[in-house]
Amino acid sequence: MGYNWNWGIFLQPTATGDGTYLGWMFYGFKVTIALSLSAWFIALVLGAVVGILRTVPNKWLSGFATAYVEVFRNIPLLVQLFLWYFVMPELLPENLGNAFKQSNPIVQQFLSSMVCLALFTSARVAEQVRSGINSLPPGQKNAGLAMGFTLSQTYRYVLLPMAVRLIVPPLTSEFLNIFKNSAVCSTIGLLELAAQGRQLVDYTAQPYESFIAVTLAYLLINVVVMFGMRWVEEQVRVPGYIGGK
Amino acid sequence: MITMNKVSKHYGSFQVLTDCTTQVHKGEVIVVCGPSGSGKSTLIKCVNGLEPFQSGEIIVNGVSVGDPKTNLSKLRSTVGMVFQNFELFPHMSIIDNLAIAQTKVLARTQEQAREKGFKLLDRVGLRAQAEKYPGQLSGGQQQRVAIARALAMDPICMLFDEPTSALDPEMVNEVLDVMTELAQEGMTMMCVTHEMGFAKRVASRVIFMDQGRIVEDDSKEAFFDHARSERAQQFLAKILHH
Repeated sequence: MGYNWNWGIFLQPTATGDGTYLGWMFYGFKVTIALSLSAWFIALVLGAVVGILRTVPNKWLSGFATAYVEVFRNIPLLVQLFLWYFVMPELLPENLGNAFKQSNPIVQQFLSSMVCLALFTSARVAEQVRSGINSLPPGQKNAGLAMGFTLSQTYRYVLLPMAVRLIVPPLTSEFLNIFKNSAVCSTIGLLELAAQGRQLVDYTAQPYESFIAVTLAYLLINVVVMFGMRWVEEQVRVPGYIGGK
Repeated sequence: MITMNKVSKHYGSFQVLTDCTTQVHKGEVIVVCGPSGSGKSTLIKCVNGLEPFQSGEIIVNGVSVGDPKTNLSKLRSTVGMVFQNFELFPHMSIIDNLAIAQTKVLARTQEQAREKGFKLLDRVGLRAQAEKYPGQLSGGQQQRVAIARALAMDPICMLFDEPTSALDPEMVNEVLDVMTELAQEGMTMMCVTHEMGFAKRVASRVIFMDQGRIVEDDSKEAFFDHARSERAQQFLAKILHH
């Protein structure tokens, strides 16, 4: 094939003199983790709120939540990213927009990416939360109310604890998705893992090594997430219930 | 204790309840029966406001259920309800099922609530199961727990919505025994049930419903010996013949 394998490339100093190529990779790895985890945290909180709102009797609240989900679920992730990065700063009040545009470019890229991934994923989390709540027997809500719980107490003590347990498996796949989706953020110049992989190719002309390393890094993240979520699933298992001990 | 006056309810154009009027006095045990779809369950759920109704009024212990100003949660905490499918909270142990509403709604301490819970579990013969989870109990046991859970709130009356319909036949009696005992202690009860033996033993009155109307509302003797309406006679003929 005539390709010159050179795994030693990672230990060589970079052309720009800021450490080794492995250091670049590691930097990208850290950005991917920081971006995905922060976006995931926001997505969980927002998604839970919106998902709950979709199931409440109030038409205005559930209508708002439905609109939210449809908007963020139905616009391609890449388009949303461009909207947040290129369009949103222009729509902000002038001083706020200028402050954003004058900030460190890395901060701009990171913030836009985080907001974009968080809102996109929150719509998907909201759907899981809604389906979790709706999959409970309707009598559960009545039972909670009949005990004298208010509607919010019924959600808190009766519906949500079970709904959350039921949606751990689908949430796992959303959690995996957010790491994979974060690669899209390389398109606005954020130097996360995938972008570092490409940059490495530009500087070293060793595409195989570079992307094999990137692949392994994503794989590592996802294996850790999967085992972590499996552990969570074990912890919250209800005795005597479906899938319980 | 419970007064219903011309209660009507419809889903769109479908009339579920029409002018239902009756009274339940303190200490009475009312059995509500009738063919499926006749509105029995809906009627009983109107009593604690789980089902809204469009016209008429229901007064429970002096409080109007349909009044928008009524604090429904407070009212419901004084009315015990037992469901067809038990509806225990699956993620809580049995004792926690009994304790949670006592602590969160009645503001009892955890110790008081658990003590009360254990006493009631003793009473329904399930003290040994206190630390288990609902999914580990049989249907009959779960329903007894559900009755104990409702009693833990010291209700002024109890509503039963087909409490034995989802049970294996051999478990029906253990639940009926608990209900019978409760009735003999003077608890005010409104029971939707097809258990005519239970009705004959403990009911003060029987309400027979058909197509959303209360067709008969009579003492059990009058109902079983000479039901007035043809529909009730047919119903009894079918249900008592096996």
